[in-house]
Amino acid sequence: MNERSVVGKPLPRVDGKAKLTGKAKFTTDVVLPGMLHAKLLRSPLPHAKIRSIDTSKAEKLPGVVAVITGKDTWGIRYGFVDTPNYPAEERPIAEDKVRFIGETVAAVAAIDPDTAEDALDLIEVDYDPLPPVFDPVEAMKDGAPQIHGEITRTTSCAWEDWGVARKSHSYTPVNNVAARVLVTYGDVEKGFAEADYVREDRSRSPGTSHMAMEPHTMVASWDPFEQKLDVWMNHMAYELKRYWLHKTLDIPITKIRIHKTYVGGAFGGKAPCYDYEVICGFLARKLCKPIKIELTREEVFSSCRNSHRFDINIKTGVKKDGTIVAQHVSVIVDAGAYKCSAPVAMFLSHAMCDPCIDRKNVRHEGVAVYTNKNFNFARRGHGAPQMRLAADCQYDQICEDLGLDPVEFLLKNLRKKGDVCPNGDRLDSYGLPEAIKKSAEAIGWKEKRGKQRDKNRGVGIGINGMFSGSGYWPFACTAIVRLNHDGTITLIEGDCEFGQGADTAYSQIAAECLGLSLEDVTLISSDSELCPMNYSNFLSGGLFVGGGAVYNAAMNLREKILRVASEVMRAKPEDIELKNRAAFLKSNPKRSYTFTELMRYHIQKHLGDPLIGYGYKKAVPEIEFYPSLSKGTGRFTDAYGFTASTAEVEVDRETGRVRVLKIVVADDCGFEINTAAIKGQMVSQAVQGMGDALFEEIMDDEGRVLNPNLVDYEVPRAFDIPEIEVIDCSDYEPKGPFGGKEAGECARAAVISAVVNAIYDATGVRVMRIPVTPERMFNALKAQGK
Amino acid sequence: MNGSKKTINVKVNGESYELSIKPKMTLLQLLRNELGLTGTKQACMDNSCGACTVIVNKMAVKACSVLAMQVNGKEVTSVEGLASRDGKLTPLQEAFLEHSAFQCGFCTPGKLMSSTAMLEEMSDPTEEDVRRDMEGNLCRCTGYVQYLAAIMAVVRQRKEGSK
Amino acid sequence: MKDFEYFSASSLQEACSLISQYKDVGKVLAGGQSLITLLRQKLISPTCLIDIKGLKELDYIEFDKKSGLRIGALTTHRAIEKSPLIQEKYNVLSEMEKSVASVQTRNWGTIGGNLCSADPIGDPAPSLIALGAKLKLVSAKGERIVALEEFFTDYFTTIIEPDEILAEIQMPPPAPNTAVEYMKFSTIEAGIKIVSTSVAITVEAGSDVCKDAKIVMSAVAPIPLVTKKAAEMLKGKKLTDDVIEEAAKMAASETDPTSDVHASAEYRKEIVKVLVKRAIKKAFEKAKKA
Repeated sequence: MNERSVVGKPLPRVDGKAKLTGKAKFTTDVVLPGMLHAKLLRSPLPHAKIRSIDTSKAEKLPGVVAVITGKDTWGIRYGFVDTPNYPAEERPIAEDKVRFIGETVAAVAAIDPDTAEDALDLIEVDYDPLPPVFDPVEAMKDGAPQIHGEITRTTSCAWEDWGVARKSHSYTPVNNVAARVLVTYGDVEKGFAEADYVREDRSRSPGTSHMAMEPHTMVASWDPFEQKLDVWMNHMAYELKRYWLHKTLDIPITKIRIHKTYVGGAFGGKAPCYDYEVICGFLARKLCKPIKIELTREEVFSSCRNSHRFDINIKTGVKKDGTIVAQHVSVIVDAGAYKCSAPVAMFLSHAMCDPCIDRKNVRHEGVAVYTNKNFNFARRGHGAPQMRLAADCQYDQICEDLGLDPVEFLLKNLRKKGDVCPNGDRLDSYGLPEAIKKSAEAIGWKEKRGKQRDKNRGVGIGINGMFSGSGYWPFACTAIVRLNHDGTITLIEGDCEFGQGADTAYSQIAAECLGLSLEDVTLISSDSELCPMNYSNFLSGGLFVGGGAVYNAAMNLREKILRVASEVMRAKPEDIELKNRAAFLKSNPKRSYTFTELMRYHIQKHLGDPLIGYGYKKAVPEIEFYPSLSKGTGRFTDAYGFTASTAEVEVDRETGRVRVLKIVVADDCGFEINTAAIKGQMVSQAVQGMGDALFEEIMDDEGRVLNPNLVDYEVPRAFDIPEIEVIDCSDYEPKGPFGGKEAGECARAAVISAVVNAIYDATGVRVMRIPVTPERMFNALKAQGK
Repeated sequence: MNGSKKTINVKVNGESYELSIKPKMTLLQLLRNELGLTGTKQACMDNSCGACTVIVNKMAVKACSVLAMQVNGKEVTSVEGLASRDGKLTPLQEAFLEHSAFQCGFCTPGKLMSSTAMLEEMSDPTEEDVRRDMEGNLCRCTGYVQYLAAIMAVVRQRKEGSK
Repeated sequence: MKDFEYFSASSLQEACSLISQYKDVGKVLAGGQSLITLLRQKLISPTCLIDIKGLKELDYIEFDKKSGLRIGALTTHRAIEKSPLIQEKYNVLSEMEKSVASVQTRNWGTIGGNLCSADPIGDPAPSLIALGAKLKLVSAKGERIVALEEFFTDYFTTIIEPDEILAEIQMPPPAPNTAVEYMKFSTIEAGIKIVSTSVAITVEAGSDVCKDAKIVMSAVAPIPLVTKKAAEMLKGKKLTDDVIEEAAKMAASETDPTSDVHASAEYRKEIVKVLVKRAIKKAFEKAKKA
């Protein structure tokens, strides 16, 4: 196993031929006999009481099969955060009140989508408008409209079901505060007292769209005889969705089957439970007919989860030499109408920041606030990009103020390999120092930094750290590897393929463990009925946890094969190697037995056992209970991925338009299982990060999204792409499969800061509000007279 | 004025069809709903993302923004019509595979159709030509780099092959 | 999308007779690159479409030294972009066409359809106006020629009568010592235009003096805006940097932009200054060499 022949290579993806020939089935492609289509009526008001809904005209439209409203789904609750202190408050259809423009107030099932859409126009809703509030700071003021009354516990929460939490209780949010977090360690006051220089800055990151290419879609079919729900849906981990469907529809969990489909991009946005999913399942069961709900792009923008708007106040104290001694961070998260993951986002903005820089004395406080807008969820980094913008841009400015070099500054303040973070997370792998050095070198830091302002050019740097899965939920995964008659294997593992390359990476891991080639692996994945338990494919836990389970399962089979080979060959297992579907003696490779022969022997001699490998992995093995969201204590993750990114930009001072010339992504994702896929992840994040830094923002006016389409919400296209250099700075992660860990989320945040800092270097103007659109840049230049 | 059905004749991926359709049907709906060719994707429905790109009479067009009636008498190729029936990929599909030029794969059929048409039209495009021609195909996963590299690899291959 | 009746015209004559019959409830369909989105969004719901896309008789690019260029209204954007004739004699059109939406849209969408959709941020109109384009409108009753400059009346509105069809775009032969330049400004490269401008400059042969100028802008008013003062001010002047800057400022003062998600009105005015300045300079340099 020393010489690796399958992992560490840029092998073609196993889903490639299906995806290149149109054969790959996405949820949107699923068609069932007799299938009906449902459309949702959305609230046109940001905050209103529903006096009554008249559906009679819609029901009479030929082709309409059913119309449902909040009366039908009254009392159903779900939410991403569903904890004893914060019970879930989301509902599939508004009941007596709407809280944002775009909230579902009714659903129509009809014979085709056009008929369902026409029927929506015939539903009459009598609203009694309430005063809305859109800004989180305004929402926290006394006398502001209260968006939620008492939030009552309706069903048991997941944590309670798993026996690790107390019963949730009812509560009434005060001044629209959805949740708070306060993390402290060290002595912040003392730290600031010791500082030679203290700086305070404010940053804002806007709400943005994940903009996955496949619009959110679900198909559900109810079998009235088996009392069973078959589901095809956009998800990132079927266990989460299945659990919510089970709770909201009160269907036994094993009577729900989520079938494998390819998912057309996710970036975090397809993990939480959605109104349309509950409605789809509800209608399928009610009508005993398959139902398809395909959201429009506008619905995805206006009614599906976007990323959180963060307003951050950051105060940092440093010594003259740049050593950070204290930091006080205050975060205001614009939750939107329901809290969803807002409590997690503001906690993660601390947790992902903490492994990068040793800030010694820290106070991180956050508040998530309800507003009358569409609500939000994780997008690639979940809180980290927003926090890194604040921190990295402030560090850049501190260096400017004190005459320090930002690269030196970062290197001075980094944690070290082997360090234990204040929460107990241990940095067994830590490629960040190398990433910083190499990314700086690749952009020409020494020659360029501070030396190109006359050409309106500049360079900047940003960094980030990211979990490889975490201790939340029962974050664990299981895999099974079956030996087949012909010596090939069938790998059974639940993770969903949404573009990240899970199917390929896991197949590579299993093949490598057993000396097989990639073609020898048949994969069964992402089917809740066929696959064993799986909670790993979010918070970047896929490769580390899911891939780890695959590794363990394949190694388990390897041990079994070696054992039987040793029995047959009368040799010690350590003297035997596996290659090309056969076991052979290292000392005499001619002496070999095929896997087929070994399997036949084993079945004969060992009670019919055909040799099956079984493995599992828990994201954070040492913890029994969950870390505290509100206090930030407890273990977060078992391995962090790290990125340093540098960028070079050119600013047109007359127009304010920023052009990115080059982006360098130097990433420590541990051992790279598929080098081409890793490069794809890094380039992807470089381009998304550039989009965040310069273009992307969900704009709204009085709660109405103004750019809910791909014409007005502009994302980078082929011609906008700068030169991108990806540098592998992997540090072997001893706990990961073959030394691998997180790869898909870390870099985006680092790229955003790098671009924004490069803009400062080019112009001398500090903008800490993204996106730095031409107009924003123009105004900033004007304001500072530059 | 009831939008009564009309008949069209169209050749799709080499097969001739006579179909009776409502005039409001788009080419995208014709392919996906009538013919079950779901490789062509719907992602924006306002002519902006290119996921539904197909080739009509050698030209790349967005199937969401062309009425099916307008392809009457024309030849349409969708992603299903690229590889040979016995499973041989086109050089471009091979290059996509080799360069890991896709991730989630949802926009990939549209990209393949755009670039297939482009390579038919231009014998020796520069990288700038390719980027400009691919402006109509939005991708969120890949960041475009590996996909542009795949196209350029085919351009080079073709040049070397013709020497 | 609502149902509609569909007619495919087999000749211009048939199209004219159909549109005169259905003028109150019908819409002409050419490439449909804007129309189909509008239908889907139910922003318009005609009960009948008259499809003229297939009319070969309106698909041509012809040039005559005396009378100039004639482009059939159903010529696709792509055909204009790729036409060697246009690249040689009216290069600005070919360059401008590269900015029109995407290749896919240019392959199917027509120049006539684009002009009739009268989108205030449309690319072609400013350059065509700068080149002095005229339109031939035909109906069952006859035909008329109108200047493109007079064609647009408001957002998405033109002077075309409900029974008329745009048949041809005509342009005079390229003027001597003249260059036309098109410039656009957007956030992403292929993004929505915040401002675009087309500037035509004619110089006195062998000098730096501007003999004639035309400055047309889009996205700064409900219709493509032809500056009066700024162009007038350039005439007879030596085009120094100061003069050019002055003209650009004047052009900005003539605009009446609105604010939207892409830019504020104030910023659009600022960009007009920069873009018009750059376009005049570039056109001026080229005109001297022309």
